[in-house]
Amino acid sequence: MSRLRVGPAVGVGLIWTFLVLFLIYPLGRIFYDAVTDEAGRWTLANFGEFFTDRFYLRSLVNSMILGVVTVFSASVLGITVAYLLVRYDFAGRNLFSYLTMIPIISPPLVGVLGFTFILGRAGTVNVLLMDVFDMLKPVNFLYGLHGVALVETLHLFPMITLNVVDALGKVDPSLEEAAESVGARGWSKLWRVTLPLTTPGYVAGALLVFIWTFSDFATPLVLGVQDLLAPQAYLNIVQFVDRRIFRMGIVISALMVLLAILFLLAARHYVAIKDYSSLSYSRIERRRLSPARQGLVIAFLSFLLLLSFIPYIGVTLASVGKGWALTPLPVAYTLQYYERVIVEPPKYIVNSFLYSGLAVVICIGVGVPIAWLLARSTVPGRGALDAINTLILAVPGTAIGIAYIRAFHFDLPGFDRGLTSFWIIMPLVLAVRRLPYTVRGSFASLLLVHRSLEEAASSVGASGARTFKDVTLPMIWKGVLVGGLFSFMTSLQEASAVLFLALGGWESITNGIFAFYIAGSANEAAALGVILIIVAAVSVAIINRMAGTRMGGVFG
Amino acid sequence: MIIEIQGVTKRFGGVTAVDHVDLTVADGELFTLLGPSGCGKTTLLRLLAGFYQPDGGTIRFGDRVVNGLPPYERRIGMVFQNYALWPHMTVADNIGYGLRLRKLPAPEVHTRLREGLRKVNLTGFETRYPGQLSGGQQQRVALARALVLNPDILLLDEPLSNLDAKIRIQVRAEIRRLQQELRITTIYVTHDQEEALSLSDRVAVMRDGHVLQVGPPKELYERPRTRFVADFVGTNNLVPGEVQGAGGRGGDLVVSTALGPLRAVASGAVSGRCVLAVRPENVALGVPASGEGNRVDGRVSLVSYLGNTLRYDVQTESGLVLKADIRDPWHHDPLPVGRPVTLSFPPSVTLAVSDDV
Repeated sequence: MSRLRVGPAVGVGLIWTFLVLFLIYPLGRIFYDAVTDEAGRWTLANFGEFFTDRFYLRSLVNSMILGVVTVFSASVLGITVAYLLVRYDFAGRNLFSYLTMIPIISPPLVGVLGFTFILGRAGTVNVLLMDVFDMLKPVNFLYGLHGVALVETLHLFPMITLNVVDALGKVDPSLEEAAESVGARGWSKLWRVTLPLTTPGYVAGALLVFIWTFSDFATPLVLGVQDLLAPQAYLNIVQFVDRRIFRMGIVISALMVLLAILFLLAARHYVAIKDYSSLSYSRIERRRLSPARQGLVIAFLSFLLLLSFIPYIGVTLASVGKGWALTPLPVAYTLQYYERVIVEPPKYIVNSFLYSGLAVVICIGVGVPIAWLLARSTVPGRGALDAINTLILAVPGTAIGIAYIRAFHFDLPGFDRGLTSFWIIMPLVLAVRRLPYTVRGSFASLLLVHRSLEEAASSVGASGARTFKDVTLPMIWKGVLVGGLFSFMTSLQEASAVLFLALGGWESITNGIFAFYIAGSANEAAALGVILIIVAAVSVAIINRMAGTRMGGVFG
Repeated sequence: MIIEIQGVTKRFGGVTAVDHVDLTVADGELFTLLGPSGCGKTTLLRLLAGFYQPDGGTIRFGDRVVNGLPPYERRIGMVFQNYALWPHMTVADNIGYGLRLRKLPAPEVHTRLREGLRKVNLTGFETRYPGQLSGGQQQRVALARALVLNPDILLLDEPLSNLDAKIRIQVRAEIRRLQQELRITTIYVTHDQEEALSLSDRVAVMRDGHVLQVGPPKELYERPRTRFVADFVGTNNLVPGEVQGAGGRGGDLVVSTALGPLRAVASGAVSGRCVLAVRPENVALGVPASGEGNRVDGRVSLVSYLGNTLRYDVQTESGLVLKADIRDPWHHDPLPVGRPVTLSFPPSVTLAVSDDV
């Protein structure tokens, strides 16, 4: 057709402008810095310095070990829980299936705080141990790599559960029956047939767990661990004194992006050669467990949930507890911390909602058109759009934060300040970080709308825009909204990129939590944490009501 | 509305899905595009609908060239293979959507909606949602939605493929009845040759983006011009051979085959290498009283009882298997496997067609 299509071309142009300006340019900027010296000459000396510095090398190795250990322990827990929930029937199964998702809604920064209140050196458990068993020294549950691994595992195992539940549901029963017909039973069937069939879903979850752990700097810092890559990047950047060290922060973040992309490509390659998707219309029946086994399963899940609930109990108590030191529980209760964080400026809550709300508006404005282009159009560059969307999921928030500081520091034309001095940079960075959730939510819904439904509208006389409004939109708005809500919730919780970009007087809730905790005011940090958890819980309840429990698609 | 398709070509990447197709469909005709999957029939239909634009050639509806027009400016009605009913709209909303888009006054919308429902016998189902209907009912809603706009042309894309066998025959008759009643030019796409034969005025057999043969069902069945058409439409015994010349009486051809020389009539242009096509129902067991016609000896290798016919597979000495139908199995005792038999078939039903495979 030779008609000139101006509108769509402008739309595609705007989308690319946004992505280039706020994702590709900043990331390109840190890579440029990483391979040039102060005078702008091309050099590999920065990486040379990194790989000859024993401390940096140890950080790299530690980060890898931490990632692998966390993925392993989260996988054991996540797969076990998923298998129990999908294949067996026991009392309270539905309740457990909902509750196991709860750790994921606790913002990472709040989670680690909660752990310190209960499992820290002077936390409830150690105080009890010393009182009751006359132990002289507290047990070190948390401070060290093992603590980081413990906190990350308990926070992230539901990512694996969600993906494996989804994958298990799609396994065609006949594949297992075939295994049985040739004599595979019990463990060998599970190990050789069932679990391998869930590989694609599992790998997607494991990759997210790895990258999340790998790029989280707040949790290690709260637990006093500095010899990891992400905390190193953070510390090098925020010192703002030594230009040399600042540059090494940039080099580290560039390295983290490179590694994340590498892991992503490896995982993609691994999954691509293992496409097991089958359309199955029947499901495997859940097996009813004997009472004794039911007891075991319930005990296991309850224990796991208790561990997962530690942070909630911890922050809730800390947010209302007064004089909580060397006692198992606070000795007096107060609301003064809430008063401080809600009433006094800066208005953390208002700011957070403003930033996250704007971020979602941007996410929908950019993300829904992207999803539409991916699902429906033949525009050149769709492959690149898809790749960028996946890339964002993998790029560490730490690196994005550092990239923004580096890239938007110059004075804007007409102003004597850089973009980094305006609060609008917060919703922008959040929108970029959370864009994939909106795109995926909308894309998945668009795939459910069979193309012929739109063609049918076209055949009875509806134009393109009219078809979208009357047929497409009514069928996808739920998906868009769920993706948007998820973007909103995770924006509120974002605690990596925004920690670099905090502006005096314009801090968000997570800025406040981090600042209060670092300054020693743990109670105020806890109060903000509780507020964040409540908002997240409400969002998840709404998402669940609207989308069922199928949140897996958003992560996959 | 006459449809004229001239030199229409459509490529997807390196694949030419429709290759220089020329067709003319008469006003009020029910015209079927028949072929195996991947032959280009659905692509051609979607070119007519306007979902694709041709890479070459012209499409005319009447004297209007519709190349480049979007679907909603072509005055077509389309029924999709999966019905494509909007699940968030009721039956009435689905059917009335196009009417409302045309900003017709409410009473007229109402009248035409009611008439549309009546035409497909769905009065009383207005407030149901598509999910609450059976497959056949959904099919009829889709049909009503396409017809209620009084389109110039009705396009049907494998409309029966999702229905049970019994309902399929019922809906098939209903489509034919409606089409006759409205005298609307209709293009019907199917891969089911029985469906094509039973309801079409004319059929175009397609393969690899080309139209191989166009004709009324009877002509297509009795005078296929190529091996592919002979094989795809109905069942045929196919025997490769070489034309030896016009030898027999009445201009019959003599064709040398693995079964010996056989006499045949040419269907289409034939010379040199060719294929003989004989329908199983024209192959008789034993020798006719006149003693004339083609004769082949063999042994029964398979007996299939189909109720209204009984089919023998007879293996000849050359290894070739011929099928022969007994059309009155009630009065026939099946022969055992291995029994030697002689098959005969007259030259008038032995068609020599060109070998296009």
